[in-house]
Amino acid sequence: MGTPARPPAAERTRPAWGDGAAVLLVVLAAAALFFSLLPPQGNFLTAQVVLNGEVLGEYPLDALEEPVLLPLDGAPWPITLELTPEGVRVLESACPGQDCVHGGWVRRAGGRIICLPNRLVVSLRGSGGASEEFDAVTG
Amino acid sequence: MSLDLRRLTRCAVLTALALALSVAEGLVPLTILFPLPGLRLGLANLVTVYALCRLSRREALLILLARCLLGALVGGNLTALAFSLTGGALALGVMAAAVRLGALSLFGVSILGAAAHNTGQILAATAVLGSDAPLVYLPPLLLCSLVTGAVTGGASILLVQRVPEMAERNS
Repeated sequence: MGTPARPPAAERTRPAWGDGAAVLLVVLAAAALFFSLLPPQGNFLTAQVVLNGEVLGEYPLDALEEPVLLPLDGAPWPITLELTPEGVRVLESACPGQDCVHGGWVRRAGGRIICLPNRLVVSLRGSGGASEEFDAVTG
Repeated sequence: MSLDLRRLTRCAVLTALALALSVAEGLVPLTILFPLPGLRLGLANLVTVYALCRLSRREALLILLARCLLGALVGGNLTALAFSLTGGALALGVMAAAVRLGALSLFGVSILGAAAHNTGQILAATAVLGSDAPLVYLPPLLLCSLVTGAVTGGASILLVQRVPEMAERNS
């Protein structure tokens, strides 16, 4: 087979100008994707819970007066969501990864919690648009 | 015969190294410091970069496949296999092209590889879930890949420069 051709990048020990271009490319891709995924903001948060492609329910968070625990019995690994007027989190999950638990609270419209082993997606949606009744709501 | 044996051994050693690196990395998950699903340092990528620079694309691919399959056996997680295979294959493809561009050093190559790996993982997640929900994780993951890619890139420069080239022939 002979000696394989040496790729030029293998012989450099210092960053080259192309590295800057690579960084720029990745930053631009991230920014473009971020802005294209920017959700409509709203003051009324609704949590949609989808398990295995099936919508289990939509929960308007503003209607809650105190935190509600929502155990999902249909999930392959038992998992419990905590819903509050401010946001949603996975309180506990028996799944192997625990990424969904470590992810913590999601409080903004467009935020999502995903538990891949359970094929669970919780999405927060802003609804009601920019309500005129409130002058300033920040989140 | 002896040449084949040499190549086989070489690939086996690198596969074992890649597997050990990814298991070691799993013991100290970055996600505890920074909660972003799919975030990893990508140390096993060092082996892919080394194989691309000092061996061949074919051997890099074989090492990658063996590492992913063995990793799934060790971890006992078949879903993880889909993720590591799509991520790893995309990263290998991008890096194999990038390493041949004259304008890049291994920093840039590793950053592009890390970004490609994250993209592949997220694409696999959208396929598994049948929903585009995981896409929201991609922009922050891409930004993190600048850091993880630069770290593994720096390490791979040391590796490629310091580890003597494995002899191709006997005589």
